Amino acid sequence: MARGRTRWWWKRETRSVTVTQVTRSLEDSEERPNMAMELNGGSVIAMVGKNCVAIASDLRLGNQALTVATNFEKIFPVSEQLYIGLCGLATDVETLRERFRFLVNMYTIKESRAISPQAFAHLVSSTLYEKRFGPYFIEPVIAGLEPITTTPTDGSAPTTEFRPFIAGADVIGCLNFAKDFIVTGTASDKLFGVAEGLWEPDLGPEDLFETISQTLLNAVDRDAYSGWGAVVHVITPDKVVSRTLKARMD
Amino acid sequence: MPSMEHVAHPQQRAFNPYTENGGTILAIAGADFTVIAGDTRQSEGYSIQTRYAPKVFRLTDRAVLAVNGFAADGNMFVKKVKQRLEWYRHAHAKDMPLRAIARLIQTMLYAQRFFPYYVYNILGGIEDDGTGAVYSFDPVGSYEREACRAAGAAQSLVQPFLDNQIYFKNQQAAPGQTHPSHLPLPDVLSIVIDSFTSATERHIEVGDGLEMYIVLAKGRNTQGMESLHGVQELSSKLDGERVFVVRRELKKD
Amino acid sequence: MNSFATRFDSHHHDDDQSDAAWGSQAGFGNLGDGSHAFNVPAVPDPTAFLRLHTDDHADPNCRIKIQHGTTTLAFRFQGGVIVAVDSRATAGSYVASGTVKKVIEINPYLLGTMAGGAADCQYWETYLGIQCRLHELRNRERISVAAASKYLSNLVYSYKGMGLSMGTMICGWDKTGPAVFYVDSDGTRLKGDMFSVGSGSTFAYGVLDQGYRWDLTDEEAQELGRRSIYAAGHRDAFSGNTCNLYHVKEDGWKFIGNYDISKMHYEGPGDVPGAPGGGYGYDVRTKGRFSVLETEVVA
Repeated sequence: MARGRTRWWWKRETRSVTVTQVTRSLEDSEERPNMAMELNGGSVIAMVGKNCVAIASDLRLGNQALTVATNFEKIFPVSEQLYIGLCGLATDVETLRERFRFLVNMYTIKESRAISPQAFAHLVSSTLYEKRFGPYFIEPVIAGLEPITTTPTDGSAPTTEFRPFIAGADVIGCLNFAKDFIVTGTASDKLFGVAEGLWEPDLGPEDLFETISQTLLNAVDRDAYSGWGAVVHVITPDKVVSRTLKARMD
Repeated sequence: MPSMEHVAHPQQRAFNPYTENGGTILAIAGADFTVIAGDTRQSEGYSIQTRYAPKVFRLTDRAVLAVNGFAADGNMFVKKVKQRLEWYRHAHAKDMPLRAIARLIQTMLYAQRFFPYYVYNILGGIEDDGTGAVYSFDPVGSYEREACRAAGAAQSLVQPFLDNQIYFKNQQAAPGQTHPSHLPLPDVLSIVIDSFTSATERHIEVGDGLEMYIVLAKGRNTQGMESLHGVQELSSKLDGERVFVVRRELKKD
Repeated sequence: MNSFATRFDSHHHDDDQSDAAWGSQAGFGNLGDGSHAFNVPAVPDPTAFLRLHTDDHADPNCRIKIQHGTTTLAFRFQGGVIVAVDSRATAGSYVASGTVKKVIEINPYLLGTMAGGAADCQYWETYLGIQCRLHELRNRERISVAAASKYLSNLVYSYKGMGLSMGTMICGWDKTGPAVFYVDSDGTRLKGDMFSVGSGSTFAYGVLDQGYRWDLTDEEAQELGRRSIYAAGHRDAFSGNTCNLYHVKEDGWKFIGNYDISKMHYEGPGDVPGAPGGGYGYDVRTKGRFSVLETEVVA
């Protein structure tokens, strides 16, 4: 009956259609989990300790319910004391891994120095925001040690301290600088619950390893799409210890 | 400003009698006791309807029922269970055994198979043999006896923590030692409190207050409850199973 | 007919006072008079209403989650029937339980498996147990597996289109020997030698088909059941946690054991007859013999 009127209503609303649809799609993804974020499964967590940070992930790559691979790493080194975990759609994990490798190499050449975790976080954020209206389906986690170099006024040699740094972001690059832990992936709600119960401030490297491992393993065991093995990287000022955990394989 | 005329179109609306009122419930069975707990916040969407709406109810001296999901259905369901238990008392001059209450709840839920109560039930208490027991149900009545269970808005936050702390999942016992199969009451109570403070921290629908019911087996003394302040006894007699309730504040933001 | 059976015979119910009112039929009070009293919403299409609120395939956001995702199997062989199931229940991606009993012990000679709606299977197979017992009392002999499965099949068929969801295998031993029937909520009822039901059934069938023979020994058959559930638990995200194994013989069913699927991956099922020793896991069995080199993570 109101064919003409309907069309007219469309025309009147045209100017705001883009805005409306964007708002809608954001609301939608909040209500109904984006299918792309659950397609391959997987989870990543990072935690702050005393003079150390840890980042860990599971090893599953699936196609919905079907487990395709159990050796799919999601955490990659950016520099000696900086790691990034890419969680979400597996194809975007690969794409962004290469993209960040390229961007960090260019930065390192241009600046003749390693990128700081702080700067890298913003590089990740702006890279994701470039695709604001057709995002990569990735929620990244960044963990590293931020070097703080102080030059004493008395002319003695400058000293370097390391401050733990972790950050997370949503799919379009909104940064979250948490002081305790960052979680992403299909098991994120489970990780939040366990981490909130187990984490405490100022954990040393060994205690931090145990805490992040227990958090990850128990969380992914309650998630159908994550698990099938796990890796943990503990970053300290003088070394990075990477361990593969014996996890449930179902 | 869009024209109002499109609103005048006849609109078809689905019959939706359900809402979700948030909150979380939790029960843990010990060797000779059971703890059943729930927060007291009741919400709809982002609004808090009330900061004190009990979700955990004493049924008998040895049975406590926690209900979570749609509050109206939950309250009605508890009312009907209590009514059936009263009828049973009149007919048999005793309280219904816990495993029988569990089966009763199954049939009462399944009777609504085609118009379900939107309620997740956890029944906790003391079995006839004196052991602590937890029964958990889905909305249409499938049930199972377990040692611990979390349900509701923050179940996915709390349950893996419980797996780790109660069942010692992913933990290796020290050489020559084994994990205890049942934890003592003080340990269970502190795990319950930690679970709820954690859930309150990370879930907007959980908070305001915490109610913990403690059911003790017949003849068990109150050992492990000495350090608790504000314990209220709800038992109808002192020589059988005993029920206590403890209330704690949770963050209100 | 003996007087005990008469008490439970629905056809002789001239008492208009419901026993349920006294709470004495606490178990199946709503079925007291033999007819099933189910409350149905007062809407034009109750089935659509139920689907809207419970079917998580139509709407993943629907409130009432009915568990799905399972691996169950049963097969007939020379030594009886093997029934093996996993124990995982999922609601969306959340593993709601890892300790579900998916084998329902209907009576000492009959087992039912559980796939689909947990409550539907639990409730109607318990109800089937009651009817089987009444059959025994009325006829002074045990019900056949064929009759029991047909009772269930006819029952769920009377609810067809109402939204019941069950895929079950009724297994047992009667005068005809070992028997397996597949019954589902569409009304399908099949007699057969081997069935697997659930999201992980394809993985289980793969192992089952490869290792099945009629003249399997008891130990070999039990191992085949375990190994098949392991395969499904490993590859299917919605199956796993533990395997429950049953063996039905002439003198009724016997529970063989509960096996942790992850433990089977790394160490095998333990010291049980029929097990080859060592873990079932591919990477456990082929350690150091990969066809590709371990990929190095580049900076």
